[in-house]
Amino acid sequence: MASLGDLERTVMEHLWGAAGPLAATDLRDALADRGLALTTVHTVLGRLEQKGFVAHDEARPRRFRPTATREQHAAELMHEVLGQAGDRQAVLARFVGSVDAEEAALLRRLLAGTDPTPA
Amino acid sequence: MLPATAVALAVLAALLAWPVPALLGRARWPARDPLAALICWQAIGLAGGLSIVGALLVHGLAPWGHSLPEAAWHVVTGVPASGEVRGDHWVALTLAGVLVVELLGVLALSWWRTARTRRRHRELLEVVVRPAATVPDARLLDTPAPVAFCIPGARPLLVLSAGMVAELDDDQLAAVVAHERAHLREHHHLYLLPFLAWEAALPVLPAAGRAHAAVRTLVEMRADDVALAALPGRDPRRTLARAIVAAGTAGGTAVPSGALAAAGSAVAARVRRLLEPPAPLPDAVRAAVLTAAGLLLAVPTALLLLPALA
Repeated sequence: MASLGDLERTVMEHLWGAAGPLAATDLRDALADRGLALTTVHTVLGRLEQKGFVAHDEARPRRFRPTATREQHAAELMHEVLGQAGDRQAVLARFVGSVDAEEAALLRRLLAGTDPTPA
Repeated sequence: MLPATAVALAVLAALLAWPVPALLGRARWPARDPLAALICWQAIGLAGGLSIVGALLVHGLAPWGHSLPEAAWHVVTGVPASGEVRGDHWVALTLAGVLVVELLGVLALSWWRTARTRRRHRELLEVVVRPAATVPDARLLDTPAPVAFCIPGARPLLVLSAGMVAELDDDQLAAVVAHERAHLREHHHLYLLPFLAWEAALPVLPAAGRAHAAVRTLVEMRADDVALAALPGRDPRRTLARAIVAAGTAGGTAVPSGALAAAGSAVAARVRRLLEPPAPLPDAVRAAVLTAAGLLLAVPTALLLLPALA
């Protein structure tokens, strides 16, 4: 049994790949290989809607569409990750923060200075 | 007349607000033993809060008794003040109350805010990224910038960017992953939280910003050390140093020169101590440092709880 997070990702991928808004039944049919019940699809859509990833229209039956492209979500995340605001740094433990050009040169010299096998 | 206890606590608070953090921030030994230094910083942060609030309380409650426990008990049970209650007593009590509410409030607010942002990031990641094929339990973010980070919490997430994977070889990638796992395993985000609160509560206090920056750097050094122990290979130090340099210098994340001088020099310090490891602190020195940290907490506690000296 796939996890909910896994299902959410799959549903989003279908919505992103679709030409237009999809109804829950369309999604169930598209994911037929997973044998999902319609209620499960609705649960997943509800969770995604709550998180702000999908919106539905007023048609009958309701049709769902993504609120932003995958690229937009990735860009939003990267903006926060690369942002320099103090409270953002507190949220994410980055491996290495951004380094300016001067510092980059110094780092390369440091590495070269003690390198037993220079390239 | 001020009770000697209040004066002693005020002196301690003044020392912890400026000279002690300045000295520790400038000292060279923390790079030799980041964990001991982190413990010292936590003791400074806690003892600083304890002594400043304690000094105000001891002075403000002086008319009600000879020691803090006695005076507090008299106030709670409604025993009238034995001495004259002057304006400065009320001022001290008000300041103590404001400071306690502000520090705890800011702490709670930072906690809540970071928890909310982390949840949002986790939601975004779960939908946007796929599990990395090469590194189990890590997520792969499809972006060219070389980035690695972790989101701490009950369900921690370790994230690598496609740029990072492309930039590093397998050994270096393993070093990055080990470093981030060390952050998660040792809950380094909790070490930072009190200093986040201090800095937000008292932005005018230069020591608060200095302490926050120092703790941030030490946490990275500590994660480097933990990662080294977990890395195979002949020269894990060089592997990790190469990974840091590659991640820091690759990619076009243009940062205006000088804008990040402080953060940048911390990266250089990390690389330096990996390539030319300083001798670890001798056991005796380490024990002395830890004892000092313990005393730092014990002294204000004793001053508050033992009967007043005067």
